[in-house]
Amino acid sequence: MNLTSLVFALFCIITICIYFIVPKKIQWVILLISSLVFLLYDGSLPLNIIKFLLILVPTYFCGLLIEKNKENKKAKIYLTIGIMLIVGQLFYFKYANFFINTINLFLEKFNSENLINNIETNSLIGISYFSLIMISYLVDIYNGICKPQKNPFKCALFMTYFPILTSGPFIRYKDVEEDLYGKHKFDLNRLCNGLMRILWGLFKILVISERCGMFVDTVYGNLDKYFGTFIIVAAGLFTLQLYTNFSGSIDIIMGISEIFGIKLPENFTAPFFSRTITEFWRNWHITLGAWLRDYIFYPVLKSDSMQKFSADLKKRFSKKAVKKITLYVSMLVMWIIIGIWHGGNYTFIIGSGLLQFIFMVLEDLLEPLSNKINKKLGINKETFSYRLYQRIRTFILFSFSMIFFRAKTVEEALTIIFNILVWNPWVLLDNNTLFTAGLDIYEFRVLIISIVILFVVDKLSRTGSVREKLSKQNIVFRWTVTYLLIFGIIIFGCYGSGYNPAEFIYRQF
Amino acid sequence: MKKFIKAFIFILIFFILLYLVIKTLWLEETPISKFYDEPENSLDVIYIGSSNVYTHFNSTLAYNLYGYTTGILSNDTQNFLVAKYLIKEAQKYQKPSLYVIDIAKLADNFDDFTEADFRKTFDSMKFSKNRIEAINEILSYKKDATKRDYINYYFSFFKYHNRMKDFPTSNITGVKNLYKGYLLENRNIVTTKQKVFYWTDQISNLQEQNKQVLENLIKYIKEENLNVLFVVPKRYFEKDINERLNDAIQIIKENNLKVMNLNNIEDYNVIDYKTDFYNKWHLNVYGSTKNTMLFGKYLKENYNLPNHKGDIAYKSWDEEYERFKEDYKKYTENDFEEKIDTYKELMEDYL
Repeated sequence: MNLTSLVFALFCIITICIYFIVPKKIQWVILLISSLVFLLYDGSLPLNIIKFLLILVPTYFCGLLIEKNKENKKAKIYLTIGIMLIVGQLFYFKYANFFINTINLFLEKFNSENLINNIETNSLIGISYFSLIMISYLVDIYNGICKPQKNPFKCALFMTYFPILTSGPFIRYKDVEEDLYGKHKFDLNRLCNGLMRILWGLFKILVISERCGMFVDTVYGNLDKYFGTFIIVAAGLFTLQLYTNFSGSIDIIMGISEIFGIKLPENFTAPFFSRTITEFWRNWHITLGAWLRDYIFYPVLKSDSMQKFSADLKKRFSKKAVKKITLYVSMLVMWIIIGIWHGGNYTFIIGSGLLQFIFMVLEDLLEPLSNKINKKLGINKETFSYRLYQRIRTFILFSFSMIFFRAKTVEEALTIIFNILVWNPWVLLDNNTLFTAGLDIYEFRVLIISIVILFVVDKLSRTGSVREKLSKQNIVFRWTVTYLLIFGIIIFGCYGSGYNPAEFIYRQF
Repeated sequence: MKKFIKAFIFILIFFILLYLVIKTLWLEETPISKFYDEPENSLDVIYIGSSNVYTHFNSTLAYNLYGYTTGILSNDTQNFLVAKYLIKEAQKYQKPSLYVIDIAKLADNFDDFTEADFRKTFDSMKFSKNRIEAINEILSYKKDATKRDYINYYFSFFKYHNRMKDFPTSNITGVKNLYKGYLLENRNIVTTKQKVFYWTDQISNLQEQNKQVLENLIKYIKEENLNVLFVVPKRYFEKDINERLNDAIQIIKENNLKVMNLNNIEDYNVIDYKTDFYNKWHLNVYGSTKNTMLFGKYLKENYNLPNHKGDIAYKSWDEEYERFKEDYKKYTENDFEEKIDTYKELMEDYL
């Protein structure tokens, strides 16, 4: 089910109605039934149920066993078994072919004729999300952060809560336990706030993201025709497409959850106002970053092998250098995992993994030098112009890395980068040329105005909730803004005949 | 309570605004959308078909000359498949003495149909079970039709919501030169200097699906006991289409229904390919005037159609005829009544 589809809207309306009609103590059951319907909607039903149970049953029992054996070593064994089973399935369904292809590459190099065939795997929707969520569930029980859920059906709801299945955010059991199984009264204010957030999400997806996609698909789909400035514009627009698509979906998910009375963690906080890539990743896909920090980065950094490695290094390098090296190694592991998590393809490993790691390391290493130069030249880093320069630089660096993310293969990404070098800036000045690539002048105007609105709202959101600010205004202003948003989507949204909306970009993960 | 009243007012304003937006961005007027403006049971003839109907038959002129009223249910490239559903639609509002069905599109390649062949017709029809059934049947022939296609056809706004870019061109404000469904076109862009229409009596088989569509329609006509006249319009036909139409004519005759091929009737040779055609397939205002005078008279004489001239209830027909004449003068700088007199003289043997 696509988050912007009528089917999904209808599905949510029915769920919300039933949710508030039934006795409050069984509200969670409605959420569970809806989630199972959502989860099992696509593909073969019996097969999906088996796949679903294969993750739920071991996680549920491992959770109970970890708690039961907390005082002895067995807890660690159950934790390891639980994680292995989840990772094993994730690996099989999502990444098996990636590793098979990698092995085949080596086999080809050695002229072996015995190549391994790819496996046909159809994973459950949201497997990448709920796998990590369930790992965190087990680790948190092990660390005593939360107690295991004794009711297997409630455990199933935590695993499959339908709004987050397509794109997160990553939730943690202790944060949502109370809301997920709690009793919720119908609240008109909450409904209005939730709907407002859903509208904002729809605006981002239908008005901005889909429109960006029309240009991006045209340019990236015709690399023999479009060069230089076209690719630069497409790269920038793809970044915006990804952001508005992803954060718009999160807005819809948050809005629906708000109506239910379930508070989810924020996943984006105006990332394009970040001054460095490091800061950017603190504002982009926040819950994934937090998950990896807590369950990969720190465990790797504090692991016995890393401590041993650190001790070895200390014999040869200064304490400060060793600290940096161990930090970078842990970061590298984390970023490679982020890259792999995004998909079984080297383009993801490079685009959303290695390049981000390289940018961050360079930022860290070059900071003293940059400070020195700025000091010598008398540049004030706290001026608007300098901040703007830093934000543009961050946007450019991220957009560059997203060329790999968008490309089908590394070769294609390199071709795109090579094609950027063609010098043709006049396409920006010549009225007709730029408008031949999927977006005419009218569509470009709509897009530019929408992007300006997006950035204004993002800017406002940095100093507190925009909806709260709006709620303090008088009714005429509030309603005018709401109507403008609704009719902005109805009139300028890219939906219906004549448009071919892309699937939610992050859905594939 | 106060909150719920506020919510109610908010929703009410939303629907008012939505209505205004939809009305503004809606498809321009079409002959079919104009059909709904007619009072119930006020039409004597319903004329169904593709663009050959609204460019060939001037219903305001037929009313002025012969006194009966004709509803035009046609759109450009309208596929023959929708004829049955348009009859059903007409039956909801009108009780005409006669249905005239143009079969020019019946011999087209069945598999070649596109959205354009149906879209305007569906979008011009009111939302109803009949419209949904029509859409369902058409899309059932489209192998790759998705749920989205169905929704896009059911709810036309999905197609037209982005028409803002058409502002402020006349495209969005509607077609002004429609007169009771007839389209005034005074140009002649026929480039060929050769005689553009001819007719062969050779026969080749209709495509199986088209044959099925025709047979279904005939079955429906018989079930409903409707008075129907099938027509092949005066125009150029590609040879293969011409031959297949001969098969269609034969099938209609075998079912004891009436069919007229205007290309085979000598009277209609008065329509001059050099001056009376807009292009090879459509008549301009001169050709349609001649065609209406001849064909309109045939209908009047053979189907016992009433004369409403002078009836105050049919005042809008007089007004539309006057508007047509004024616009004719504006486009051609000639007087239409004078033209009619000239044609009467020219065609006195046939009229």
